[in-house]
Amino acid sequence: MKINFHHPAPEKTPRIWRSLRELENDPEFEKHLHTEFPRGADVYQDSGLSKRDFIKLMGASIALAGVGLTGCRRPESYLVPFTKGVEFTIPGKFLYYATSMPARFGAIPLVATTSDGRPTKLEGNPLHPFSNGGTDTFAQAETLNLYDPHRSKQITENGKPSSREAFDAYVASVAQSDGSNLAILTEPSSSPTRARFRAALQTKFPKLVWAEYDPLAPTAANAANEASFGSSVRLVPQFSRADVILAIDSDFLNPIETGIGYAQGFSARRNPEQKGASMNRLYAVENHYTVTGGMADHRLRCKISETGEFARQLGLALAAATNNAALAEVANAFPASQTSIDPAWIKECAADLAKNAGSSIVLAGPMTPAPVQVLVNAINNALGNIGSTLLPVKADLVPAASIEDLAAAIDKGNVKTLFLMGVNPVYNAPANLGFKELLSKVPDTVHLGFFEDETGTASRWHVPAAHFLESWGDCRTFDGTYTSVQPMILPLWNGVSEIEVLNILSGATAPEGPSLVRETFNAIAPQATAESWNAFLRDGFLPESAFQQIQPTFNAATASGLAKKGAPAKADALELVFLQSSSVDDGRYANNSWLLETPDFVTKVTWDNVLMVSPATAVRLGIKTNNFGLLGDVAEKMGNDVNYDLIGDIVELSDGKSTIEAAAIVAPGHADDSLSIALGYGRKGVSALMDGVGFDAYPLRSSNSMRFLDGVTIKVTDRNYPIAQTQEHRSMEGRDLVREGSLERYAKDNAFAQTMGMDSHIPPNISLYTHPELNAKDQWGMTVDLNTCTGCNACVVACQAENNVPVVGKDQVRKNRDMAWIRLDRYFAGDSSDPEMLSHAIMCQHCENAPCETVCPVNATVHSEDGLNLMAYNRCIGTRYCANNCPWKVRRFNYFDYNQRPIDELYWGPLAKKGMADSLKMSKNPNVTVRMRGVMEKCTFCIQRIEEAKISRLVEAGPTPASDTPIAPFKVACQQACPNDSIVFGNIADPKSQVSRMRKDPRGYVMFKYLNVSPRVTYLARIRNPNPKMPGADLVGMANGSGHHGDAHGEHADQGHVDSHSDHHTEPAAH
Amino acid sequence: MANFFPKWTNWLPLKVVICAGAIVTFLVAGISYYFTPKYTRVGYEPTQPVPFSHVIHVQQLGMDCRYCHSFVEVASHSNIPTTQTCMACHTQIKADSPKLAAVRESWKTGEPVNWVRIHKLPDYTYFNHAVHVNRGVSCYSCHGAVNEMKVVYQHETQSMSWCLDCHRAPENHLRPPSEIYNMAWHPPADTTQRQIGLKFKEEWEVNPPVTCGGCHR
Repeated sequence: MKINFHHPAPEKTPRIWRSLRELENDPEFEKHLHTEFPRGADVYQDSGLSKRDFIKLMGASIALAGVGLTGCRRPESYLVPFTKGVEFTIPGKFLYYATSMPARFGAIPLVATTSDGRPTKLEGNPLHPFSNGGTDTFAQAETLNLYDPHRSKQITENGKPSSREAFDAYVASVAQSDGSNLAILTEPSSSPTRARFRAALQTKFPKLVWAEYDPLAPTAANAANEASFGSSVRLVPQFSRADVILAIDSDFLNPIETGIGYAQGFSARRNPEQKGASMNRLYAVENHYTVTGGMADHRLRCKISETGEFARQLGLALAAATNNAALAEVANAFPASQTSIDPAWIKECAADLAKNAGSSIVLAGPMTPAPVQVLVNAINNALGNIGSTLLPVKADLVPAASIEDLAAAIDKGNVKTLFLMGVNPVYNAPANLGFKELLSKVPDTVHLGFFEDETGTASRWHVPAAHFLESWGDCRTFDGTYTSVQPMILPLWNGVSEIEVLNILSGATAPEGPSLVRETFNAIAPQATAESWNAFLRDGFLPESAFQQIQPTFNAATASGLAKKGAPAKADALELVFLQSSSVDDGRYANNSWLLETPDFVTKVTWDNVLMVSPATAVRLGIKTNNFGLLGDVAEKMGNDVNYDLIGDIVELSDGKSTIEAAAIVAPGHADDSLSIALGYGRKGVSALMDGVGFDAYPLRSSNSMRFLDGVTIKVTDRNYPIAQTQEHRSMEGRDLVREGSLERYAKDNAFAQTMGMDSHIPPNISLYTHPELNAKDQWGMTVDLNTCTGCNACVVACQAENNVPVVGKDQVRKNRDMAWIRLDRYFAGDSSDPEMLSHAIMCQHCENAPCETVCPVNATVHSEDGLNLMAYNRCIGTRYCANNCPWKVRRFNYFDYNQRPIDELYWGPLAKKGMADSLKMSKNPNVTVRMRGVMEKCTFCIQRIEEAKISRLVEAGPTPASDTPIAPFKVACQQACPNDSIVFGNIADPKSQVSRMRKDPRGYVMFKYLNVSPRVTYLARIRNPNPKMPGADLVGMANGSGHHGDAHGEHADQGHVDSHSDHHTEPAAH
Repeated sequence: MANFFPKWTNWLPLKVVICAGAIVTFLVAGISYYFTPKYTRVGYEPTQPVPFSHVIHVQQLGMDCRYCHSFVEVASHSNIPTTQTCMACHTQIKADSPKLAAVRESWKTGEPVNWVRIHKLPDYTYFNHAVHVNRGVSCYSCHGAVNEMKVVYQHETQSMSWCLDCHRAPENHLRPPSEIYNMAWHPPADTTQRQIGLKFKEEWEVNPPVTCGGCHR
């Protein structure tokens, strides 16, 4: 790998100097430099140091290190016990508490791991009825948010530091007033405690304007449900009962869109071997590739503006098939428009749905316009899905004023005091409102926020908000289960929670966290006792507190009234679709470097958002990018060194009033004449980390174009923009890394994946190397089920949080120096305009014949007797031979002291600032070494958890034979976070363990079997379930081609089994 | 006579002497630093904020290690007692002793006592007390005869090779479970440590890890 150093621009008085003469800017010295190294400057600028230079420099630094070291002694350190023992706390042992993260779709139930009082890891709560114990990426990244050193730390009034007393006094004075000009703008919340305060405040201040705004709120879904079924009705899907699912502009498999628990039951029905039920079938209609689209058996590329027409035609077809007058009425009410949608697709999809009436689900996304949603409700009603696969429940939604209502009230001068609670409308309100100007019309504004952001600086008061791990609260999950939020730590920087402010505003004096929630609990719980309260906190939820199921009737009149408002698609118009960002959500995670560096599911772009455009539209518009294999002359010009200079054309987008800029990349599978951009980027002036990251799309978003803007003009500029992409390559180069087949093929030969490609030709493997025996009783292994892995990234961030994986910054990612221990490779198969997408989780495969181990000159990477490929950091001298010899490219090298240096000062040398913010030190997992510069690292199979489990077993065994005590079950971090239980880890020597059974699944295969490295990670091939009548059905499940290898060489199948090491551990030994 | 040697050779002997001297100095300094117990800090005996004597508490009063180091059997870390633990007795006994001023001060203010750390493994080494004391390794094996230390000092090198000596041959240290916290225990006269150790090793299936992952994560 080429080293490419980008030095900062030379300074007049350099801080890093090579000689005194240089320091003095001696002109003679400069001349000397120029003559002796006439081309040296070029070498330094473009292609890095020569090896010779490097060795010279290294020699010098080693000499310096010698001088430095001999003068130092180990510093005195201290053991600091508690003054008084803290209940339950044992130094060095984790404590686990149930809590939950309030989220857009209710809440994500969590178990927080605390170490000496610091929450260090969040995991899903498997006890919770509306969770399988998984989490999403955002929940995993919340620990970094908690310890973010950029959080606001000071109450300010008019930009000057103030105090809590002064603020409390101010709020109390508002509480004393009659509240006639008071308004509160906050986010929608499922918290019953907040609802209680809202009701109390609206009684106390009858004229109070209570407005709720969240840029990605499912407002349209709520409106459609109200028109269809009456107020506050919510549909809870039961995927375990659904045979056919159609997702229209819905990424329901992605927990960041729908929350944990929403899609539960789906993955179990993907198993072709399940008992008593057939494998489900998923249709997706979307404009850009989502993880749901990647999982789909049939996917239709469709402009978002045309999804209404799609739903209309589908509705008409189903109305005819089901003889449902209500559906016909609603579908006919929806305005028709011209589209180029393949009628055969709609016909066959409708036929499949009609065949599975009562056991199908049609879904629309939370932001899909309400007229389309109401049509989807009518379809579900006609199919008889309501009450069978979609359970209607009576939720506790209380209508609130919208941000538009609030804007109108401010405009009329009716608002004199405005509380902005956890919202940032100056940045993300619809552009037509001009919220920044509106805010200046309000004399008294109070902003409660995590950062002193755009709204914070425009407000009179700014108050740091408490993190949900710092405050008491409660919430309801999507199904209504009452769920607790309890603090893990005192507010780090005196943050205040929303309910505390509301409490003072309602006239109470002291803010009392637990009692505020307990009062709500007493009202909700059937038996409010100390025991039930403690159980509520211990388990994290109140059992059987979900919303009541109801049997609503579909109201065709109101539904068709709403459907009439549907907007027909504009012919030949270019549409711009606004997406939830996989990294920053709506912008709230813009300062979270873990998330910024997590690649987008599909584009694999880190640190920026990009404008996605289909290959055909890119050609039509003249957008040149060098992504996704469309490299051409650009790559050639750069010597095919594409890793280092991925660039995208900058385009200007305009709606006639505002113009934004964005870098465009070509996205395979994107709908033509459609553009997509994620929201939440391009923030300025909030923190150094957010500045200059991505492009702000909010200026083009207005109240009537929350999901998409139909009719946008585009101008391609001659400027371009560097993009940091972790995977610019899209093809498997015929190596069958990911394997898939159709259900039909699976029915013929369920072990087809084991004889695919090279695997049908290889002779029996013989190893030249000998190894120490793998003779421990426990042999660790993992399986990844590609059939249920959606590629949602939850495991990636979970691994980062668990294993102290550093963030390297955009510059380093562009040099392929990203550090993620587990990555999700994304492959496209088929035609680039409309390919299939496959996702592939890759972590260290813990090969039994590990190629990395044989090349390490210092034995820094060796094998343990229980089959782990170990990495001893303190031995590693950083030759990187191992990474070079790794077939999976999972080894990560610390080119810099990423933990100790700010990512924008990595090249500043030894004189730059060193050290980590104190708060970030608190976020580290104490059981995992924080690696320094110059060492290799990689997935350890969470060895800290393995060792803890082994040690706990031995502690329990005490002076008895170790083998009498079994190892208690545990999960590794990625497995724990997975919302679909796709990753299984465990002891493969135990034939009864789940991982052993999964490894024996006929779908199981290992990558690069012909290399004879014997990986400990087995993948289960993906099975797609195409509808044979659908157009293009013959191409579904064909990512590996027709698979003639397996058929023609069936006689090799007996050699093809993966469990080749089973003879290695016949003699179990005790630990 | 012609100059057989160029002029620069005049300085050569001096340069050789200086270089040789420098190398020797570095070697001596290096060896005396890295190869002596001073490097491993055997005998490191810092002054503690409170002149706590294990002789009085363990030897004379017969207190068990676990009275103060209460979590040693369950946690990786053998905890230093809280001020509360000290004050449990010292509100009654020696309540006014000037030696205990720091403890009383801590109790009054809530500020913890900063004990100077003696045994320190590198950050990349994960040692677990619980698994050792529960599986027959006495405090004595790593910390020496603490009961006889007026001021605690480091007794063993606690280097990696020292750890591995025992991990490879645990029979040299395994004891009956009842004698883990008995600092003065010796094998009964009719037997040897090795015999006892081998018996327990087999009986309890003691098989300490010697791969990197046992201690380095």
